[in-house]
Amino acid sequence: MARPKTVRAPTTASLPNNLRIPSSTPSLTKSLGKLSRQALLDLAFTWLDNRNIASFPPYLQTDEQDGPDDDEALAYPAEKTIEEVRQVYEDLQDRKGAKREVLERILEGDWRHGITLRQLAMADLRYMDDHPASLRWTALELSRIDTKRKKSKELPPTDWSSSVPRMQAATFVQALQREISPLVKAHYHLAHSATLPLTFLRIFVVDSPYQSPRQAAEIFTDSSRVIYVAFPDSCPYVYTSIAASTGSKSTPSTSSVATDTRTLQRLVRDSIPKALSRPQERFSLHATSLAAKNLPTLLTLRGPGRSTGSNGAFSIFADAAIEGSPLDPRPSNTVSPEEHIQASHSGPADGKENTNGSAAKRKSSGMDTGPLSPDSKKRRLAIHSRFGTLGSSLAPAPLDRLDIRLLDKLGSSEEQDDDVDDSSSTLPAVSLTFAGSDVIGGIRKLAELGIVDPERMPSWMTGEGGVSVATVRMGQRLQRDI
Amino acid sequence: MATTTSRAPASPDPEEQELDTEIASIRAEIQNLQKRKRILTSSLLTTDPIQKLLRKQRQPQAQTTQASPTDPLEAISPLIHAAGAHKSSNHHRIAFGATAFPFKDPSPTAPAGTLLGVRIDVCARNGRFAKPYYILLQQERSRASSGGSTKMLKVYRHTVPGFISIAKLEGVYLPRPRLSHSNQDGDRDGSGSSGEDDADPAKPWKKSGSSTRKQDLRGFVRELRRELVAWHMRAEAVEFLREKLGLISEGGGSLPFDVSPDRDTGIVSLAAVSLETRYVRVEWVDGRVGRFKLSNTGVVERAVVIGDDGRDKKIEDAMTGGGGRVETVLDRLRVDVLSGSLSP
Repeated sequence: MARPKTVRAPTTASLPNNLRIPSSTPSLTKSLGKLSRQALLDLAFTWLDNRNIASFPPYLQTDEQDGPDDDEALAYPAEKTIEEVRQVYEDLQDRKGAKREVLERILEGDWRHGITLRQLAMADLRYMDDHPASLRWTALELSRIDTKRKKSKELPPTDWSSSVPRMQAATFVQALQREISPLVKAHYHLAHSATLPLTFLRIFVVDSPYQSPRQAAEIFTDSSRVIYVAFPDSCPYVYTSIAASTGSKSTPSTSSVATDTRTLQRLVRDSIPKALSRPQERFSLHATSLAAKNLPTLLTLRGPGRSTGSNGAFSIFADAAIEGSPLDPRPSNTVSPEEHIQASHSGPADGKENTNGSAAKRKSSGMDTGPLSPDSKKRRLAIHSRFGTLGSSLAPAPLDRLDIRLLDKLGSSEEQDDDVDDSSSTLPAVSLTFAGSDVIGGIRKLAELGIVDPERMPSWMTGEGGVSVATVRMGQRLQRDI
Repeated sequence: MATTTSRAPASPDPEEQELDTEIASIRAEIQNLQKRKRILTSSLLTTDPIQKLLRKQRQPQAQTTQASPTDPLEAISPLIHAAGAHKSSNHHRIAFGATAFPFKDPSPTAPAGTLLGVRIDVCARNGRFAKPYYILLQQERSRASSGGSTKMLKVYRHTVPGFISIAKLEGVYLPRPRLSHSNQDGDRDGSGSSGEDDADPAKPWKKSGSSTRKQDLRGFVRELRRELVAWHMRAEAVEFLREKLGLISEGGGSLPFDVSPDRDTGIVSLAAVSLETRYVRVEWVDGRVGRFKLSNTGVVERAVVIGDDGRDKKIEDAMTGGGGRVETVLDRLRVDVLSGSLSP
């Protein structure tokens, strides 16, 4: 193998945006092939946009003259100008066809000299926008570490805004780079989501200190080396695509060599709060026992909106589903919840809260009243009071998995008083795991069918805590997971 | 046979389609009218003259004998009563902005006792009310060291947006003696407050200190409401500026991206950086980019404008100067005003 012209020296710089992955890499075809035809076309238009054209130059005839001209028999002759390239994609846009056609045009035609890391990152984020449930996300909470609490006496406490660190994208990435660079080499891509009020940070990590790693090109499309961090707007939470490791708070053993992807991921995760911190303003991350596949769910349960602090039976307050505005002359018990929800659309946050446009098609399915027996009517009322709007079609926040550990002693549900000595060794730990497309909605359905007694079930079954992992004793969630 | 089956789903009769849409529109109209009728009947029931009249007629009846069950007035009296109660609670909500109500947690395993609910109403710029905010407080008995058990309030559930720290407010206004400091509670507890009656600046971070301050629910709600109102005001100020710049279309939605720059100021975009609307980002047609910070009182506190050759101090001064009100910031940024100040 011929040595590259440049001298290879280990550096601490990040991987450059314009590092090209050979277009012939099979896994590249696969990872771009996940996208829909329209998404690929949109991406191509973005790359060919006047503002971006310098970053993603397509392969033109002028390039052909410089390079060795050994492959004449290519399917896609190089175009003369960028205008012509644009025209090609306009034509593809106009006519219907297979996705394959666009993909091949991109990889073998206009970007035959390689797809840059930034292009790949953009493609991945586009996929995420189209498929918000493609990854499993863990919600973490940012909180300030206050070392000098006594000093705060002098500060006027006029600022009630919570500890949302002000994040300036470029500065944050620089700080993160400073934290990670001694350990791993990374490529960063920051973008605001097109559909959700989130800022995505895509970090691709390699364990090579060299600017142009000599690893096989396959490594660049290895999804286990990619870490996503999402910052929801104005709230002290961070979502990561990394599965929460149990001992994340403990100091990482310094002796371990950072080679496997898991270690790299942990290194990145540990450095995020440090990068967000500033002098006199330190942050730490801690788990909030919520992981879900769906980003809108995370935004509902740990987001900036109203529903973060009230779920389950209390979701009627989050959706303002029981009482109308003070200007409504109708007594509130004569108005249906849907009307209440639809009537109050004047808050400044409303447009952003219902980002997936579900408000328009929020039609009740469980609330239409037919001829009912008094029994089922009573059950329906109980279900409404227990679940509120959660799990119904009114406020969808599907959890795909719910892990519950029960710490009740046998028979202790009958005699509630004598579980003072919970240190007894004969504690049976019962673990329940629910999985499905919408766990809470499923439990609600079970209650509607009369399988679950809606009046006696504990509150974790109604999704009240807004968690996906919980330890429960006597029907109540323990704050600290044991 | 084959032809009929293929034709049926392909194109329904255009006349039928027309009828269908007509039926749908009529149904929608009926629904609208029904809704209107309901609103009118309930407002009629709540009007003062009717309430007074019906009450007057009812009282003598109640004093003399039991009303006959067929009496129409007696039949509608629960409706009138409900309408009257609703009206008075609406009046409280409009006038005071914060109202309290009891709420029973339906969960069988919930800690006993009813929750104390507080509802906060905020009036928006267009004369409507935003979705009400709720805080549900839990009462718990604490064994205070001073002897005897006192009722302590604790925030149980709330619908306050995430950027207003309930934990911080709770730490100051609703301190509990056995406050176990989780990380959440601890972020920068302030002490005292602006214009607070309590003379002693208590130290809520001191665990079980002898000088544990009394809980101040009024102060808590007042501060929280102030913060919520301030947020709505900030968001509306930005919306007002966007309207003035013509960045919002008639329907209320924002226009597509490429809008012509504002003629007087040369601003192409003005938008809040995040939901909190603490910072606002401004873009000019010549590529200058600026950001300013809004205070709770609607004053431009700080501004930074960066152009091709460094910071543009003149525009920054124009933004923060002249009282700094955010509503008039566009007037101060007009090109002719700026150049006029330069020429002499």
